Amino acid sequence: MDTRRPTTLSCEQVAPLIDDFVDERLDAAAREPLESHLAECDSCRRLADDLREIRRGVRALPAHAPRPEVWARIAQQLAAQTPAKPRVFWTSPRVALAMAAVMILSVVTSVVVLRGPRPSSQGTPAAQSTPAQTAGTPVHPSDPASVKDVDEHLRIADANYQQAITELEKIVAPNQAALDPAVAATLQKNMGIIDSAIRESRAAIQSQPTSQLAQTSLFDALRQKVALLEDTIALINVMRKGDQAGAAKLIGGRSKT
Amino acid sequence: MFPSNRSGADRTDRDLANRCRRGDMTAFEELYKRHSGRLYSVAYRMSGSAADAEDLLQDVFLQVYRRIDSYRGEAALGTWLYRLAVNTCLDHLRSHQGRQRKATDFIDDVEGLEPVANPFWRPDRALDRMDLESAISRLPPSYRAAFVLHDVEGHEHHEVAEMLGIAEGTSKSLLHKARIRLRAFLRGGPADQTPRPAAAAGAGADGRRGER
Repeated sequence: MDTRRPTTLSCEQVAPLIDDFVDERLDAAAREPLESHLAECDSCRRLADDLREIRRGVRALPAHAPRPEVWARIAQQLAAQTPAKPRVFWTSPRVALAMAAVMILSVVTSVVVLRGPRPSSQGTPAAQSTPAQTAGTPVHPSDPASVKDVDEHLRIADANYQQAITELEKIVAPNQAALDPAVAATLQKNMGIIDSAIRESRAAIQSQPTSQLAQTSLFDALRQKVALLEDTIALINVMRKGDQAGAAKLIGGRSKT
Repeated sequence: MFPSNRSGADRTDRDLANRCRRGDMTAFEELYKRHSGRLYSVAYRMSGSAADAEDLLQDVFLQVYRRIDSYRGEAALGTWLYRLAVNTCLDHLRSHQGRQRKATDFIDDVEGLEPVANPFWRPDRALDRMDLESAISRLPPSYRAAFVLHDVEGHEHHEVAEMLGIAEGTSKSLLHKARIRLRAFLRGGPADQTPRPAAAAGAGADGRRGER
């Protein structure tokens, strides 16, 4: 008698081992008799195959990340609470300087992006403006020579965004009738969400002036608002031309963002 | 999954926790940056919604801020945070489902449930991501917690057990039931067609027994 031959297992004996088998946790002594059973039992083999496929599918699931404004909301709530503990804000000047350097970079980049030349692909008659044009003459920051300039640069970047937003809103407001009411309502709702994020971010910055996450959150929200207004103007233009396909394409593109 | 340089990561976490106890908001923000991604992932998979996951993440970190004094460093900070996050998610799910429970009864421990078959999953075709995400969101909360922590987040059973405050055998049992239920959702057929593993006993109906 060949004592090395794997012992035959029943389906009931296989069941408690199937997860460890799928997870490749069984040693050879436990795995071999189970594999022998699977070779002969269609039902258990299908189960093992399906569980393996589920594991593969789970591993391929995309990663998700929270939006920056979540931190802004947390910081705002903590600031609103009566502090039970003494707060230590930016105890290390070196940390504050490092954060400030990152902020200058991101803010200056934002200013350049907002101010820089943009391709004018929307050659439409009613509302042709791009942010570069509608922003008017942006406020020019002085050279970022020191950390003292950080607040000023942030303020200037914020002001430039606000200027662009105001100009874009001036174009959108009188032309909104061109939009389908349901689309206009959705855009309005999304604008409300973005405005809420802007308010929350500003409140967070007020309580933590040097929080990098709060700054990122604010400028993300401002960028989103500019993008939504741009899309709205583009949509107004195609709707006026009766270009339903173009409108559907724009709405589809917006819903993916 | 925890970083491979775990002792270094644990040391950094302990240092951050100590500074958070002293009210250092810079440390708290750093703690958020280090852990919010993984905790959000758990909240997203547990709640099945990005909006709910963000609300849960916010709730978790507000709790962390209030309760950091109670973290004594016996377990890794990551484990403590996961436990807080999963319990917050379970509370949310139960409160949400509790409102529907009167009409439909809770399916947590209903065996032999016959879900609608998915005719599109064939052996020669990879699982559709949307189908899989939808099936995960239909799992009972305790099954989902074990499944998310083990199969999605990649924790070992002893870690899952510590996070959920259950026995290791219970973690294995919950995972097994979750996988069988998922298969049934995706493939069709009985939700509990295999005999129970021997380690099934020990979990309460909600799948946890320890305090947070």
